[in-house]
Amino acid sequence: MTLMQKTTNALLHGTLDALILKTLDGAPRHGYAIARFIEDTTDEAVVVEEGSMYPALYRMERRGWIEAEWGTSELGRRAKFYRLTDAGRAQLATETAMWARFAAGVSKVLLETA
Amino acid sequence: MKQSLRSWLWRVPVDQEVDEELAFHLEMRTRELIAAGMDPAAARETAINRLGDVARLKRACVDIGRKRDREMRLTQWLEEFRDDVRFAARQLAHAPAFTLVAALTLALGIGATTAIFSVVHAVVLRPLPFPEPDRVMSVGEDWQGRVSSASVGNFTDYRTHLKSFSSLAAKQFVSYNLAEGDQPERIVGGRVTHTWFDVIGIAPLYGRVFTADEDKPGNDRVVVLSHRLWTRRFGANPSIVGRVVRLNSEPYAVLGVMPPQFDITSDSEELWTPVAFTAAQMAEHDEHFLECIGRLAPSVSVEQARAELRTLYPQMQAQYPGNNQVKLGVLKPFQETLVGDYRQRLLVLLGAVSLVLLIACGNVANLLLARGGLRAREIALRAAVGAGRGRIVRQLLTETLVLALAGAALGLALAWVAVPVLVASSPEGVPRLEQAGLDSVVLAFALGAAFLSALVAGLAPALRTARTDLRATLNEGGRGGTAGRDRLRTALVALEVALALMLLVGAGLLVRSALNLQRIDPGFDPRGVLSARITLPEARYDNPTRLVRTFEELAERLAQAPGVEAAALNSQGPLVPGGSSNGLLPAGKPFSSDAVTQSALNIVTLDYFRTMRIPLKRGRLFTGDDRRGAPLVMVVNESAARGLFPGEDPIGKQVGCCEGGPDNPRYKTIIGVVGDTRSSGPAEDAEPEFFLPIEQSPDIAWRWIQNSMTLVARSRTGDAGALINIARGAVRAIDPTVPLFQVRTMEQRMQTALAQARFNTLLMLLLGSIGLVLAAIGVYGVIAYFVAQRQQEIGIRMALGAKGPDVVRMVVRQGMQPVVLGIALGLAAALAASRLLTAYVHGVTTTDPLTFAAVVALLGTVALVATALPARRAVRIDPTRVLNSM
Repeated sequence: MTLMQKTTNALLHGTLDALILKTLDGAPRHGYAIARFIEDTTDEAVVVEEGSMYPALYRMERRGWIEAEWGTSELGRRAKFYRLTDAGRAQLATETAMWARFAAGVSKVLLETA
Repeated sequence: MKQSLRSWLWRVPVDQEVDEELAFHLEMRTRELIAAGMDPAAARETAINRLGDVARLKRACVDIGRKRDREMRLTQWLEEFRDDVRFAARQLAHAPAFTLVAALTLALGIGATTAIFSVVHAVVLRPLPFPEPDRVMSVGEDWQGRVSSASVGNFTDYRTHLKSFSSLAAKQFVSYNLAEGDQPERIVGGRVTHTWFDVIGIAPLYGRVFTADEDKPGNDRVVVLSHRLWTRRFGANPSIVGRVVRLNSEPYAVLGVMPPQFDITSDSEELWTPVAFTAAQMAEHDEHFLECIGRLAPSVSVEQARAELRTLYPQMQAQYPGNNQVKLGVLKPFQETLVGDYRQRLLVLLGAVSLVLLIACGNVANLLLARGGLRAREIALRAAVGAGRGRIVRQLLTETLVLALAGAALGLALAWVAVPVLVASSPEGVPRLEQAGLDSVVLAFALGAAFLSALVAGLAPALRTARTDLRATLNEGGRGGTAGRDRLRTALVALEVALALMLLVGAGLLVRSALNLQRIDPGFDPRGVLSARITLPEARYDNPTRLVRTFEELAERLAQAPGVEAAALNSQGPLVPGGSSNGLLPAGKPFSSDAVTQSALNIVTLDYFRTMRIPLKRGRLFTGDDRRGAPLVMVVNESAARGLFPGEDPIGKQVGCCEGGPDNPRYKTIIGVVGDTRSSGPAEDAEPEFFLPIEQSPDIAWRWIQNSMTLVARSRTGDAGALINIARGAVRAIDPTVPLFQVRTMEQRMQTALAQARFNTLLMLLLGSIGLVLAAIGVYGVIAYFVAQRQQEIGIRMALGAKGPDVVRMVVRQGMQPVVLGIALGLAAALAASRLLTAYVHGVTTTDPLTFAAVVALLGTVALVATALPARRAVRIDPTRVLNSM
């Protein structure tokens, strides 16, 4: 793995957390719904790597950003629903601000030198 | 609601949770792909592929999930604990009387235990303040069951042969006359090998310690000061290094000052000079006066070092026959040597005080039971709204813990006051006692004691209270509880009585022993006798003739002073520290350890026996004719006579000792036998002792006793204190530069010798009394409770014609049952435990029937009163009122 790829992954890693938090901002969702929501909303421009989404969910639950409870899915199956906590909402705000700053900075470089 | 859902979720094992979640995901994805037109098998495969390595994914999630659950459980536990503590505080605040009594009871128990522990910690447990203190060993040898000091020759052999030690050192205690400024002072010093500082492993604070070169005869006029002496006499001035001080009238250059932790005890030596062995000394194997210590070499175990010492001794015996007969090397931790028998003494005390704490816990348990009965309704309600039994027990235990912590805080305040009192009132000479205080270890101990007390006092009542039958209690309107035969309360009474009995037996044995000690005849008459130490400096009193003449002159001058009935000098008076001992061997017997009678050497002036009123049993005492050049004579005490010539008349027999060799044995003829004296105090047995007239004392003996003698003078009026100035005047008239020190009346010395026993007795008596009072309160509480429970029954009985005394008898009989059980239990336990006191009682066995009987009678009477009081109250109840209230 080259250094460049590593950096990209690390970047995406933080981004994934932010995307999940944002997805849960409206209403509680189960893991699959989170993945689908991100795919739909970004027109599949961002494909959620499912293998990293679940560990991310558990990690964020451990940190207290989200909490889970069992409920019934739209098809009547038992599913684990995640909801945003107050701490998670604060984290989302921080990450959104960071992303905005980052995107603005990158845009400045890329667009002005182009 | 959220809370309960989450706690429900936690009960799903994490791997099941992950499995289910991932299975749901796969199913949803497969469904979607099929809906998009994919064939089911392919759809499923695609779904799995998108997830990647499912097994690894699952492991990662389970791993994080486990950590998450652990943290959440802890958080919840802490939250509940916090809630419980708040609730407990509120509950306790609502019952101030209960809270105060329970907290004070625990404070008494925890405070007393903590105070004693702080002493045990300071004296026994705390490691010595130098690097790897457990690697520093005392090296000595076994001499007829005792650990003896080493000779220079043996120490030299240790140093040559023992490979188990990285460094070995030796010390000889000496007393120096320090003349600095205008006040001469006697100071205990150590003549040590230069390695002494290496073995201890502490560097000097200022300057340096002496080198191997300075530890040689001729170069040895150098001194290292202790921090204590430096602060006390030299104003803690670092510029003292390099200056010259005068010790025993000779100049010594100050090389350095040691840091405070080098002062291991408050009465350890205050300065160090090189011991500077001569070649002749290093070949000498018979004079034992060195304290040896060694630091174990890295990776050598104590056992290995001990084994090496064991193999060295036979070699030494072969090499120096006649000197190292049947001796064994002894190795033990330096700390043990230092602490001596205080270890067991203090641990026994700690055991006794924990009995007090247990009794206190018993009382608190009793209070908690009563309170639990009152709270049955509240508990039932909480159970009704879904609190599990475990949860209720935890809450109740938390309440007890809050109580115990409050008790510990109060107890620490108590200990804070008690420890200085304990230290100040304790007898002299307990090593490191002055360092006792409330440090972090002691605080941790108090905290631990609080937790343990909470558990001991709180567990049974909490289990009992939480068991309360829900429906019965709520229906009955709160009167419920478990009246009638109450095993738990009965057991509490029995246990408290048993514990109190153990304490009282201990106290009783010590009291009897103390009374015995007061009556013991020490073998001399201490009333009206003054004693003091005097040392003639070696520099000016360098030949034996001069020494003898000066001491004799002093004795004569003193004897003629007004108010003095008799006066004498001696090298080892009773109750005076110091002196030396020698092996006595009857003339003609071959040397062997068994044939030798190790006896204390006492060089005396003529009037010694008359001054001390030591009775002559056989033969005669010394006269003026027993002078230098006359036939050599000795007087022995009865113990020495028995040891030397068992069953024979010792008068006229010849004995070898102290001096001479095979060609010139210098035998001494026994001319008299005197009564034994208890030289180490009334609590100690008399030791064999022999007396030589000062004019015939062997020249070498002056070095053994370091030119020091004890002066004794008997007052005509019986007022020994009045002789102090007379004694000082007599010494001044002979040599104004020589100080008289350790000036005490013999009666004061007797008191000091008994101080240890008196202190132990006082403490045990105090603990025993606290135990008795607490146990009495406990018994009273339980009986009062029983009586209250049976008020109706008693009322009915009385209404039916039962007489008051009959009812009292019935209640008392029932109340005394657990007391009798407790007494029986306590007797068995006390019989087993009192053996620990064997070393501290005199003139009484540890199973002394009189003591046991007295304690049983005392405890029985107190318990009877504690039962009779509530019983009498019961019969004063008006039967009609009781019946009406039904």
